[in-house]
Amino acid sequence: MPNIEASKKDLEKLIGKKLDIKQLEDAVEYAKGEIELVEGDRIVIDEKDTNRPDLLSAEGIAREIRGRLTRERGIPKYKVRKSSASVIVDKSVSKIRPCIAAAVVKKVKINENVLVQLINSQEKVCGTFGRKRKEAAIGIYDWSKLKQPMHYKAYKPRGKKFIPLEYKVEMNLEEILLEHPKGKEYKHLLEGFSKFPIFEDNKGVVASMPPIINSDLTGKVSPSTKEVLVEVTGYNQETVNIALNVMVSALAERGFEIYSVKIKYPNKTIVTPNFTPGKITVKIDEIKRISGLALNTKQIVELLRQARYDVKVKGKKLLCEYPAYRPDILHPVDVVEDAIISYGFNKIEPKPIKISTKGSELKAKKFKKAFENVCVGLGLQGVLTFTMTSKAKQTEMIGFDPEKEQLIEIENPVSEKYTVFRKKLYPELLEFLGKNKHASFPQKIFEIGKSLELDPKAETGVIEKNKLCIVFSGKRAEFTVAKGVLDAIADSLGLKYALKENKSPKAFEGGKSADVLIAGKKGFLGELSKETMQNFGLEQKTAVLEIEI
Amino acid sequence: MDLKQKVESLSEIEATALKALDQEKFAKFEEISEKSGLPIDSVRRAIAWLAEKELAKISEEREEVILLSAIGKSSLRKALPERLFVEAVQNLGGKGSLDEVYKKSQLNRPEFNVAMGLAKRNAWISIVPGKETMIELTGLEKEFLEGKYPLEIALKKIRDKEKVEGEEGLAKALKRGLAEKETVVEKKARLSETGKLAIEMLGNVKKRAYNIQGAVPKIFIGKKHAYVQFLDHARAKLLEQGFKEMESPLITQEFYNFDALFQPQGHPARQWTDTYQLKQPKTGRLPDKKIVERVKAAHETGWTTGSKGWGYKWKEEIARKVMPTAHGTAHSARQLAKGIESPGKYFSIARCYRPDVVDSSHLIEFNQMEGIIIGKDFSFRHLLGMLKDFATEFGQTKEVKFLPDYYPFTEPSVQLSVKHPKLGWIELGGAGIFRPELTEPLGVKEPVLAWGIGIDRLAMCALNIKDIRQLFSTDLAWLRKTKQVIWNA
Repeated sequence: MPNIEASKKDLEKLIGKKLDIKQLEDAVEYAKGEIELVEGDRIVIDEKDTNRPDLLSAEGIAREIRGRLTRERGIPKYKVRKSSASVIVDKSVSKIRPCIAAAVVKKVKINENVLVQLINSQEKVCGTFGRKRKEAAIGIYDWSKLKQPMHYKAYKPRGKKFIPLEYKVEMNLEEILLEHPKGKEYKHLLEGFSKFPIFEDNKGVVASMPPIINSDLTGKVSPSTKEVLVEVTGYNQETVNIALNVMVSALAERGFEIYSVKIKYPNKTIVTPNFTPGKITVKIDEIKRISGLALNTKQIVELLRQARYDVKVKGKKLLCEYPAYRPDILHPVDVVEDAIISYGFNKIEPKPIKISTKGSELKAKKFKKAFENVCVGLGLQGVLTFTMTSKAKQTEMIGFDPEKEQLIEIENPVSEKYTVFRKKLYPELLEFLGKNKHASFPQKIFEIGKSLELDPKAETGVIEKNKLCIVFSGKRAEFTVAKGVLDAIADSLGLKYALKENKSPKAFEGGKSADVLIAGKKGFLGELSKETMQNFGLEQKTAVLEIEI
Repeated sequence: MDLKQKVESLSEIEATALKALDQEKFAKFEEISEKSGLPIDSVRRAIAWLAEKELAKISEEREEVILLSAIGKSSLRKALPERLFVEAVQNLGGKGSLDEVYKKSQLNRPEFNVAMGLAKRNAWISIVPGKETMIELTGLEKEFLEGKYPLEIALKKIRDKEKVEGEEGLAKALKRGLAEKETVVEKKARLSETGKLAIEMLGNVKKRAYNIQGAVPKIFIGKKHAYVQFLDHARAKLLEQGFKEMESPLITQEFYNFDALFQPQGHPARQWTDTYQLKQPKTGRLPDKKIVERVKAAHETGWTTGSKGWGYKWKEEIARKVMPTAHGTAHSARQLAKGIESPGKYFSIARCYRPDVVDSSHLIEFNQMEGIIIGKDFSFRHLLGMLKDFATEFGQTKEVKFLPDYYPFTEPSVQLSVKHPKLGWIELGGAGIFRPELTEPLGVKEPVLAWGIGIDRLAMCALNIKDIRQLFSTDLAWLRKTKQVIWNA
């Protein structure tokens, strides 16, 4: 979950109230935040709601808190001043990355706090709400360095050159995608296109190559910047509008002035930013029913206004309007939660659940318990291994051909140790023993767990079998020990079994292994071959029993 | 017991071992075995007894050694995947298509992908896109092929038990699981001061017939794994409270893991960095067509739930993909789709998977305890009542705090913090009321309270361990020492 860096003083200034750490801790809960770290003036807030881009900055968190701790209520009003600025959208981007929104912010005073919030929230909004820049990529520019109108247009891979951010040399678009770290990271977003989007000014000075990188010349803000241009590109006008609103309203929270920009598409013109509130109707009864709280209409309206809604009562319904920086309100339940948060979770008296139901466990668990009891009675130590493992362990180390053996394979393994799901348990137990050569012998271990096999007929294409595996290691851990254990288990559980000679011993010593059929389920047992022992670094004789239960 | 009694009580084996001990120098058990002619196991036992009688002193030296893992051994025998990969390109004349290289290398797919990534990162190859992706050697591979590859150098040194600390390739070898750190305990023993006196007395003392105080051989009893014991207790608690256990397959359709839970298909949580995906098999079957159609509608337009929906084109082929289960909530979705009784309580203690780097607080395979309670008139207040119950049973406390939280599939959502008697304030679990966009398409009209408890953390407390990896400990001596787990003890 995103971590928000903030200065305590700055946060207090934005909230408009001095708070000690305990009070601040309680206050950020209104914004689904938790204080992770306090270090002098520096605090780090863990923001849990990944669906609220507006809470990814100190300004946004403060705005949410103000509704609860100060007299401020309802939707925050931001004045948008008209300007002549415009972006001309060329039809060449319509198939590549069609949507754009922009705003100019003037009278900005960029101190360190502003800069930290601006840069961090830009990155986090793109990362979460913007789906790693796919749905929304944000650019911030020094407006004084650009000559309007701006143009949003696609160029051929070598059709444009500029110096990317924090670089010294000019690169063409192809070079940026292949060589620049950001190019490599995000080039998949432009895959399959023969032209790439460029955001440039009227003189052809490049501002950025969305959604990859800004230009070093114009795409940088510093304490001397007085006017900034904020631009968002993506595939959906509503999404880019919300991202723009989030960024621009945070700046307006500091008293900076917002100016509109005309977006001239080939077939229509729109004006951004657009702060028209979202609308949703909620039944008063629904709020009472879901929250379980006995509230009157006036109280509910007050709770919602604290959560920054504007509310009109219409009979048994509430006509709610919510700020244009919130993308998360899909259903009346989302509004209900905001009311309960305003009320305070810890002021609510919990109500006990009084239903009478009968507990039951899965049949497989009942079998597992019976087998477990027998194993404990046999003096075996239970072990627990992972179901993910390496292909080598499940194939060549036990004499199977890795090319022929069909296993459930992971597409995106993190480590070579875990690339497949186990089909057999015993290689995992042998590895366990290999790590315990210094513990006293004999070593007698068991595990009951799942093993996976491909099965096209199964619902998931995988059949999951519950298996028992027992491994003995020591001077007398021979075939007869494994068979003796099988015999004892079968006897104790009243099951019949049969052994069949194993013609292809693989991991086992020739002639000293067998296929098992026990109560209709399959298995095998045997004494390990020298080679298998060597593969797992075992020095003492080892006998194995593995059966499906 | 005075010294005379002690000497009288010595068994034949103890006396032999005692005589073989050095007065000054600590000796390894193997050395003592050789000197005394006793088998090593007898030496081990005898010395433990002698130490208990204060006749011998034992020193334990813990040494961290680095050893090749099973995969490390086999890859060193066969050559590393990246070597097979680069050699394959070389054998193709320094250039070849992706397919050619794959065939030539004889690697399996995951190995091949890992090897190609490494070769690219090390700039041994360049990948030339085009109709057919080509792989070309860059010339930088020469040093590598000549054996100047830090990883291989480190692995060989580990194999030959040479000093490997400070080797450039060591960290890589550990990270890739080719080598592992293991703590080896080397026990040594020597005579104690009383032991010296005892030896002098040995000849003059008459043997006593029987000593009831004498040490006995250690018996290792059979037992369930301590963590399994803990989980079984937790399961028993839930059964007591009237919960029914749900099926919890390790492999699930994305439909249950995400779509039925109203997680949009483009969501970052569904990307390969956040969840495991399977190479084989690829897809499974979806439930009843009616349910699938309604889930699709809920995503696209909100269906009849009163929601706006996510506003995108939902694709059935994505929902059909199968994956290792990423969270226990997938099983609740499966249960809801299958049909449930109302009022009803359901739970699962499920193995879940997440691609992560394994460390003292992260596993890629872990257990989640989750469940649902369904009933006609349940409200947020009931949700809190349920959590209070859990706090008493699982957190051993009545001191609770509820915090606003976010889960993609519940609204409202709440985090349960409790003041645990041993751990202090901890996040015990999370809960919420399932969104209508989730329940209604699955045919459920009544409110469903969903909850999850951080069971691994509680298990670590009960087992008194700090490192989560120890839940899957491979240390037999430690497992043998673990006590029977008693609930809320």
